[in-house]
Amino acid sequence: MKLITTTIGSYLIPRWFREYLKKVEGLQKEGEEAEVDKEVYKKAVVEVIENQNKAKIELLTDGQLIWQDFLAYLATKISGFEMDGLTRYFDNNVYYRIPIVKEKVSRSKPIILEEFSIAREIEKEKNIKAVLSCFTLAKLSINKFYKNEEEFILDLAKVMHEEAKELAKKTKYIQLSEPSLLYASKEELEMVKQAVEIITSNVDAKFFLVTYFESAEKIFPEVLDFKIDVIGLDFVEGYEKNLSLLKEYGIDKALQIGILDGRNTKMENVEEVKSKLKEILDIASPKEVYVSPNTGLEFLPWIKAYEKLEVLGKVVE
Amino acid sequence: MSNLLLPTTVVGSYPKPKWLNRMIREYREGKLSDDIMEEAYKDAIKLVVKEHEIAGVDIIWDGEMRREEMTSYFAEHIEGFTIYGEVRVWGNNYYKKPAIVDELRYKDELAVGDFKYLKSITNKRIKVPITGPYTIVDWSFNEYYKNKEEAVYALAEVMNIELKNLVKAGADYIQLDEPAIPTHDDELEIAKNATEIVTKGVNAYIGMHMCYGDYRKIYPEILEFKVDQLDFELANKKFVDLKIFKEYDFTKDLGFGCIDVHTRRIETKEEVKESIRKAFEIVEPKRVYVDPDCGLKLLPKRIAFEKLKVMVEATKELREEL
Repeated sequence: MKLITTTIGSYLIPRWFREYLKKVEGLQKEGEEAEVDKEVYKKAVVEVIENQNKAKIELLTDGQLIWQDFLAYLATKISGFEMDGLTRYFDNNVYYRIPIVKEKVSRSKPIILEEFSIAREIEKEKNIKAVLSCFTLAKLSINKFYKNEEEFILDLAKVMHEEAKELAKKTKYIQLSEPSLLYASKEELEMVKQAVEIITSNVDAKFFLVTYFESAEKIFPEVLDFKIDVIGLDFVEGYEKNLSLLKEYGIDKALQIGILDGRNTKMENVEEVKSKLKEILDIASPKEVYVSPNTGLEFLPWIKAYEKLEVLGKVVE
Repeated sequence: MSNLLLPTTVVGSYPKPKWLNRMIREYREGKLSDDIMEEAYKDAIKLVVKEHEIAGVDIIWDGEMRREEMTSYFAEHIEGFTIYGEVRVWGNNYYKKPAIVDELRYKDELAVGDFKYLKSITNKRIKVPITGPYTIVDWSFNEYYKNKEEAVYALAEVMNIELKNLVKAGADYIQLDEPAIPTHDDELEIAKNATEIVTKGVNAYIGMHMCYGDYRKIYPEILEFKVDQLDFELANKKFVDLKIFKEYDFTKDLGFGCIDVHTRRIETKEEVKESIRKAFEIVEPKRVYVDPDCGLKLLPKRIAFEKLKVMVEATKELREEL
């Protein structure tokens, strides 16, 4: 079976671009509306795409280089949100500004479309995955407008659907990054199922639903009924549990295997990774297999992020 | 430990003089010799000491003039760490995140030299702040040890050597900075064991400083830690955390962060007095140490000084009233 190498999305920002952003946006919370020069941004994306190409990654991402913080960045682009103070992002020593939803959410302008188009201009041949999120963005936000969580999530899904429709004109690969899903209740899973239907309906693209930081214990088997093409699981944090879930329920979709630790500088042994992959694929027979680090590579220093990509390239070779 | 009622102190850092920052930059570019840089550090420390003395702070430190940050500074002085580069904390803020790549071993001193120098230039009582083993490991990559727990204990052993050396050099008040503890309540046991290891055989008054965390996650368990004092950032959240401490008998001395270090507004004397009085709802006055929420290094120097001054004045008046 062919293994396709890819990443979760984020990449550490090149040092010079970091310095540039510091100058334009400053160090504080007020910088989010600052205008980033397209040509400068483009140069940074070129570097990140080059790194992926050098390491023989097949399905690329643009590195999410102007996402000042994680999924909450999306909220700065969507009408209805205001940004509040900082809080910890899961169990990482990194922080994001808490989005507060104060009005009905709407897509008054493109969300990631413009930045994605720049990556598309740079890399014309290979496929590039566009990264969005719905449930996690809702979970990380404070709701001061909607009567209940469901309304909020479904409205946000409509916003993401509009964005996905536009993105699908430029790529056939769209990912929903959903770490919060791993902590969802059964009722919430039902909401997300509906949300996913809204987002993907009549959009001509392959949809990834990617989870990380935990095993998928809480979302199986429900997630198998979601209208998505690829499920992404974290096989670093949840190796044993995810294996047994696959054994118990199987998988009739494509699988993205997060196999390299995106949060530790320690480099995996290529042979060990291969045997783990073999173990997984002996148990499950997904329609297609993508192999990636378990998380974005923004948690690693520049040289180590690249080394991880190289290991990934070698594993699949 | 202190005979003085409501001793005033600092958490550690103080703004570097602008000229020192410029010299550090030039030194890194290779434009200054070691001797000149060394002299500059010493001059800066004298300045910090004098400002603390003028402000009237009772227990002081050197403002951490030689430290750039609270993780990598220590990691660079311990065998087994390496630093590959920076990673993001949030927005455009990054830090040098160390990686443990080998067995951790004592290499050179972390604070003994700083302590000795400070002691040679002031008669003030000294507190030595040092980042604790749990926080250093939590803010590092671990490539060498099987798990975080092992790494934390190994580092605690190394740092225990330093703490003992500090006592040998005359230090009698050491503060472990452990802001990472309230961020993983499932690892409190590890942090507790580490504290025991790092303070083993250390004959000094031990404080533990924590900030910007959810104290509900660590209270009352934190009372079982082998320290004499717990020091908290409290002004930043307008003292709402105090209700957490009221739920159980607070059995340690209380380091009471009563000055907000994230606003340039200088508190009024009355306001600070009012804040400190809140501490007495938790413990009796003789167990209260008065200090700012956290290090002052992010403030302009003049404002940091004014804040210390008002803190001391408020405390003096309260002493009279008690």
